[in-house]
Amino acid sequence: MNTHSFEHELKQLAAPPPDPAARERARRAALEEFQRRPGTVHQLHSPRRWRPLGPWSSGLAAASIAAVGVAVYWLLPPEERVLAIGEPATSPSVPAYTELKRDEPEPPQSSTARAERSAITTAPPPPKMELPAVETPPPVMDIMIPQEALPASAISNATDRPRPAVAPAPPPPPLQASTRALEEVQVTGSRRVSREFDSPMAVTTIIADTLESENRDKFQHFDVNPVKRAAEEPVSTFSADVDTASYSYVRRQLDDGVLPPADAVRVEEMVNYFDYAWPAPASRSAPFQPTITVSDSPWGTGKKLVHIGIRGFDLPAARRPDVNLVLLLDVSGSMNSPDKLPLAQRSMALLLDSLKPTDTVAIVVYAGAAGQVLAPTPVREKQAILDALGSLRPGGSTAGAAGIQLAYELAGRSFRKDGVNRILLATDGDFNVGITDREALKSLVERERDKGVFLSVLGFGQGNYRDEMAQTLAQNGNGVAAYIDTLNEARKVLVEQASAALFTIAKDVKLQVEFNPATVAEYRLVGYESRGLNREDFNNDQVDAGDIGAGHVVTAIYEITPAGSSAQLIDERRYATGTDAPPRGRVAPGEYGYLRIRYKLPDSTRSRLIESPIRTRASVPAALRQDVQFSTAVAGFAQLLRGGRYTGGLSFEDVLREAQASRGEDPYGYRAEFVQLVRRAMQARGIQ
Amino acid sequence: MDDPQTTVLIRRAQDGNASAFGELVDSHYDTIYRFAWKWCRHRANAEDIAQQACIKLAASLAQFRFEAAFTSWLYRLVVSCAQDWQRSQQRHLHAELSGDEPQPDDSRTEDAIYIGQLLEQLESLGEGMKETALLVHAEGLSHAEAGAILGVSESTISWRVHTMRKQLQRREPLASIHA
Repeated sequence: MNTHSFEHELKQLAAPPPDPAARERARRAALEEFQRRPGTVHQLHSPRRWRPLGPWSSGLAAASIAAVGVAVYWLLPPEERVLAIGEPATSPSVPAYTELKRDEPEPPQSSTARAERSAITTAPPPPKMELPAVETPPPVMDIMIPQEALPASAISNATDRPRPAVAPAPPPPPLQASTRALEEVQVTGSRRVSREFDSPMAVTTIIADTLESENRDKFQHFDVNPVKRAAEEPVSTFSADVDTASYSYVRRQLDDGVLPPADAVRVEEMVNYFDYAWPAPASRSAPFQPTITVSDSPWGTGKKLVHIGIRGFDLPAARRPDVNLVLLLDVSGSMNSPDKLPLAQRSMALLLDSLKPTDTVAIVVYAGAAGQVLAPTPVREKQAILDALGSLRPGGSTAGAAGIQLAYELAGRSFRKDGVNRILLATDGDFNVGITDREALKSLVERERDKGVFLSVLGFGQGNYRDEMAQTLAQNGNGVAAYIDTLNEARKVLVEQASAALFTIAKDVKLQVEFNPATVAEYRLVGYESRGLNREDFNNDQVDAGDIGAGHVVTAIYEITPAGSSAQLIDERRYATGTDAPPRGRVAPGEYGYLRIRYKLPDSTRSRLIESPIRTRASVPAALRQDVQFSTAVAGFAQLLRGGRYTGGLSFEDVLREAQASRGEDPYGYRAEFVQLVRRAMQARGIQ
Repeated sequence: MDDPQTTVLIRRAQDGNASAFGELVDSHYDTIYRFAWKWCRHRANAEDIAQQACIKLAASLAQFRFEAAFTSWLYRLVVSCAQDWQRSQQRHLHAELSGDEPQPDDSRTEDAIYIGQLLEQLESLGEGMKETALLVHAEGLSHAEAGAILGVSESTISWRVHTMRKQLQRREPLASIHA
């Protein structure tokens, strides 16, 4: 059999013909469902439980999109959401379903049934993000009300009496139906509710119709980086990422008492939210130097974690280049919320404090139309800028050309050849900045980047936030994407890290690690899924990658399984040839691998190279111990929020303990806040 | 895209014609069931998944707008049902380690065991691997079709196929089944 490839084996996989009785059951169940839903979705609308989202509610009835039921839940405003969590268990109508199930005669596999029963009372699992996004009206929210998915008769029956038969009696199933099927047919009428579907939601879920539109996810789905064998794929390449938007978004969700959707959690952004004491380069000959430590993995016995830490040098104020900043603010009606436009205005005001008097600021707004609010104005005329900022009102529409083009035009007008030219886009997710085609928008941002005008994106608010779009634009604009939920966060991003956000010290920073198969059996890059590069991209200076600002701290973590460890996940190849094991070339028993970093200076198009071996004895210096421990705790937490595929027995409790033990000095209280966040996750998990 | 007959059936069913809908289910039940079986290789479970998919089809057919092939749309629905089923299985297994997990089908031949282990191993390679392998290899769909069904780009599918091949090709069959 092993003479064939696995593809061949799969091709040969032949299902037995379906059982006509099963087919008939399915057909009847589907027909019953069909007749309850005569064509249009809006008839099922139940205002009490699923309120359509405000801005999108018009045209809902006609919109023929549906979504995975649980996903919709994330679109609801927080207060509704909490309600929605509670309801499957408490609403008078929903227990009908639960009771119905309880009436079920104990099936033969009682353990499964018991497990299922407990599952019924728990709320649906955190949704996969198949969220439709914002360019067109997202899904109709009037979907899938559990009780309506059941025949009315079933509900009344179930609530008053656990009588097995439910009217209207269906034709009896054909004789050849199995006994197992018969039992259940008795219970639920002609529609057999599969025992395996454990939540009421699941039964009535409608599929997200994303097939019919382009990818409209708010959070782009990505696969978790898998474990790789050093002997088969020794080289791992990725781009630096200094964004932290994911952390703020996750914090916001947890503050609201819910676990964030998995795809909203990017491990590297959670880790990079915090400052670590990786040393800055001693000389200015390179903008940064890597710090490499090796420690034991807290979630994999026998495994080790390799931390690669980078700190860009910081610019003293006197050496900071001039700044030509254009604020591009979304003032559409949806920004009318204290945590949106008002917060954006206050954030921008904070930013002024970190600029020099000779720097200039211009303001452009967009809503239905776009307009210039303030021509490029030196920061020394601070009051004029503050007045202009303060005059902005949500919902106002101003005449003018498309917002983003106008912003680039202004930036071009006051272009500083040796300075920093940047657009700061503040939005709650409406990227209707004048160009609706995403690719066209992206290419505009790229063209302007090549001319020297960069773009950063600040996200505000909730319910409409389009993470993927923010990421895409910022990445292509040599900028950062940050999510600002509080004034504190604004201070962190725009004041403490202003130089990092404004002054790029290295462009297109790529990291490549070649693992040594003699010492490393397997490795896994923790996070950076959306930043993966091909091996050949590393030396190709045409390939864009992440940028590092002054004082930026970037951390990457690899989990490795040393050769000969029993923690290995992938079996040795039986027929391995000399080409991979044992390795040819240099056998370096003292090295786990070799790190190469490529970067470009901000005004250069040619990359430079930094190299460093990863030594097996690179233990953690005492000064960095807390930082390694804390970053590991954050990485563990983020992976747990993503589902914890590779974290073994690690629990939130473990994360809490580790994080508390490594809080250190914590001058701004960020780490203390993280500890609170872990507690919130434990509570949210309890609810869900 | 779809054959005219199917298109007519869908339109009539969308207009509320129950017998057209019944016909539609009849003509696609095989596809649905066979995929479900390949997913779990267990008759009763496959029947459950397939029935769930038929119910979902009834609930969501109104949303089908002929912008994608009906079969792709249907596959997406079945894959989602299969994933739901699998999640609930895993939860049960975690909840109670009683060990009475559903055994693969009656045909406990070497081939069946091998395929079971193969699919498990594919799954362990990363998210979406099993789905990709089944759609591309077992169902014979193109990378573009599989991408459309799974909601990822064609290149992601190609990358997955490539990765699986690299990881599994010529590897020893996964356990000593001859022992």
